Amino acid sequence: MSGSGFTSPFGANSNPFGSARLDTGGNGMQRVAEEDENDTITSPTTPNFGQGTGNVFRGPFGSDSSETQQHSNPRGPPVAEGYPAQYNFGRRTSVSAESLKPVGDSLDNWTPPVHSKTPDQLARLKKAISGNFLFSHLDDEQAAQVLGALQEKPIPTKGIKVIIQGDAGDFFYVVEKGSFDIHVNSSGTLQPGPDGMGPKVSTIEAGGSFGELALMYNAPRAATVISAEPQCTLWALDRVTFRRILMESTFARRRMYEGFLEEVPLLSSLTPYERSKIADALESQKFPAGYTIIREGDPGHSFYLLESGEAAAYRSGSDDDNTPVKHYKKGDFFGELALLNDAPRAASVISKSEVKVARLGKSAFQRLLGPVEGIMRRTKYVGVKTGVEDMDPLQAH
Amino acid sequence: MAATVAQTQAIPPGLHPLQAAALRAANGGQQQPQHQSQQPPNRNFDDEPFDVTSRKLTVGDFVRVRTLGTGTFARVCLVRPSHGTEADRSKVYALKILRKTEVIKLKQIDHVRHERQILYDVKDHPFITQYVASFSDHDFLYILLDYVPGGELFTYLRKYRRFNEDMARFYAAEIVLILEHLHEQQGGIAYRDMKPENLLLDGEGHIKLVDFGFAKRLGNNESGHPVETYTLCGTPEYLAPEVIHNKGHTTAVDWWALGILIYEFLTGYPPFWHQNPIEIYKQIVEKPIIFPQDPHISDAAKDIIRQFCTIDRSRRLGNIQGGAAQVKRHPFFAGVDWDAIYHKRHRGPIIPPIRYPGDAQCFDIYPEEDASKDEYTEDLVEKYDEYFKDF
Repeated sequence: MSGSGFTSPFGANSNPFGSARLDTGGNGMQRVAEEDENDTITSPTTPNFGQGTGNVFRGPFGSDSSETQQHSNPRGPPVAEGYPAQYNFGRRTSVSAESLKPVGDSLDNWTPPVHSKTPDQLARLKKAISGNFLFSHLDDEQAAQVLGALQEKPIPTKGIKVIIQGDAGDFFYVVEKGSFDIHVNSSGTLQPGPDGMGPKVSTIEAGGSFGELALMYNAPRAATVISAEPQCTLWALDRVTFRRILMESTFARRRMYEGFLEEVPLLSSLTPYERSKIADALESQKFPAGYTIIREGDPGHSFYLLESGEAAAYRSGSDDDNTPVKHYKKGDFFGELALLNDAPRAASVISKSEVKVARLGKSAFQRLLGPVEGIMRRTKYVGVKTGVEDMDPLQAH
Repeated sequence: MAATVAQTQAIPPGLHPLQAAALRAANGGQQQPQHQSQQPPNRNFDDEPFDVTSRKLTVGDFVRVRTLGTGTFARVCLVRPSHGTEADRSKVYALKILRKTEVIKLKQIDHVRHERQILYDVKDHPFITQYVASFSDHDFLYILLDYVPGGELFTYLRKYRRFNEDMARFYAAEIVLILEHLHEQQGGIAYRDMKPENLLLDGEGHIKLVDFGFAKRLGNNESGHPVETYTLCGTPEYLAPEVIHNKGHTTAVDWWALGILIYEFLTGYPPFWHQNPIEIYKQIVEKPIIFPQDPHISDAAKDIIRQFCTIDRSRRLGNIQGGAAQVKRHPFFAGVDWDAIYHKRHRGPIIPPIRYPGDAQCFDIYPEEDASKDEYTEDLVEKYDEYFKDF
């Protein structure tokens, strides 16, 4: 009945694409990952993942670890033309970190742990993590908190295994003193016996680091790391602390921006969702005291929120050029008419102390929400509080 | 009783009920005296009509045909009702089975709860797998879904190596409608795991998005809740830069992933890849997308990929003003009749070889038994079971 007359090119109850899968590397993600580890450890700081042991979360449709695979095929190119020679064509496993929710301004305030360090130690640590892509985008506050949270871990004797291949990974390490050997066992996990660690593939000296994947999610360690001399010292940082520092500061800053934006009458009709999108596009900038942030007469392209510090507006042609026409403190804003048109700045704004501002470009605003005129037409603009320009922006030129 | 079991294959403790049932069936169904006393062997169904939506289900309402996919804490099986009229029993479903201990151990409780709720919320979309029911027992959570027989788009992509632009456009267009629905009509659901492995084909070659294990409802216009979320999840090659940097991410991650997906459709591999995941992440945050000489990729396709895979979210297509409507107007989709796409007026470019409704030949074969797993102890029940009460 069903299927009668249908000539299947595939045998019943077999996968129709079995042969194709062999050519293209099959779906043995974990076997591939294991093999890759054997000979492609390029950096000891970058353990591989996905052997199917430990706590890597495997997508419910992910491949199964017990499926047998052709071991020699997976990394070969399926065909020569135009394909990357080493791409693994197997199913890719999903990954997930533990779910984190910001405490925000709730009562159980979280503060990151602080482990004191000498200025020398701090300088060395800074240098050690400066080139690392997981740290290079941090702002000053975040970087300071992360540096503070690194915990000293003395490794008194030679031969202590700091991380074990195949084990769950929760910590990232920076070598303060001494050296450590990296071993990789081709089986993907540490084995019993004298050669259980597998051959040594590399050594990490002071200033080096390892285990950074653990800062993203819990993946099995790709190598065993063992102290190569007595009296070594490490700095350790765990994933939850690291991610929490980033999350809490980002969360707090976004809520601050959204709060500031709520106070801008020009943007009063934005929904919380739109404000949040705008908060995404704000760029933080720092200026020293005495810096001219916007200059009277210049074309206006950006709008500013004052995050910290104080500033003042000056206008030429007022009774006294040196008397500010307006003062700004945290949460105030200026230059908002730039969102509306390219009219010259009506005043100069100069920082009175070191200031931190959040800048929003007109173009970014328009890309996200369209022309500001459209936003303003939603409600009648009431000029309760403006930055520099004490006039109805719809009539401003 | 021990003697009876010893003659056949012993049923290990902790085995999933469907597995135990399968083993019993293999053993001739003889070793369960209590069943024998109730009804004749192999005749344990009745002809009372059985409607899967009419009452709370149990796993005994189904028999397993075979496994369609597996993961650490989940297994998806093709199942049939174990009783009911002949018409009822000829129906097939996909049953997703999640092991509570693994869900807890992998800290995925929140994700599993979101999955059930969101599947329920989005259940009438043409390109999303259809939620039927959910239920639970002592050790497992179950989500009953419509069976999508065509298998994974992943399988076809690897088989054909790559898709031409017309094929890629067809699938991308259906995905745009999915994202428009999730992000805009549903008010801010981020899917967070877009990849060919999670796209199934139905009998007519249309897409069905499956596995909402990472989907999350974010704040929106009305809720006033934060629109961003912070838990790193997804698939390494498809992660957006803001996820890697833990900057708080939004529905914009799905548009990034769509860019990666179109690239992989057209070339056969994703733009950022490496054996070592850390190297993938470095490339994603630092490197521009580079297109190969061969195959030739049109300027419109390159442009839409670059516009989706833009690190600056205030420039990323789909996230910028106009949202999905702006995506639909991109030259890559020139000539697409969006209404015809939504109403599936044309069959897809690949018609899966399906011989009968419950045919599973388009899916890979998986082992039918789990490795031994931890027990769901009374302590765990006490501590966690309330989180699963919605199932």
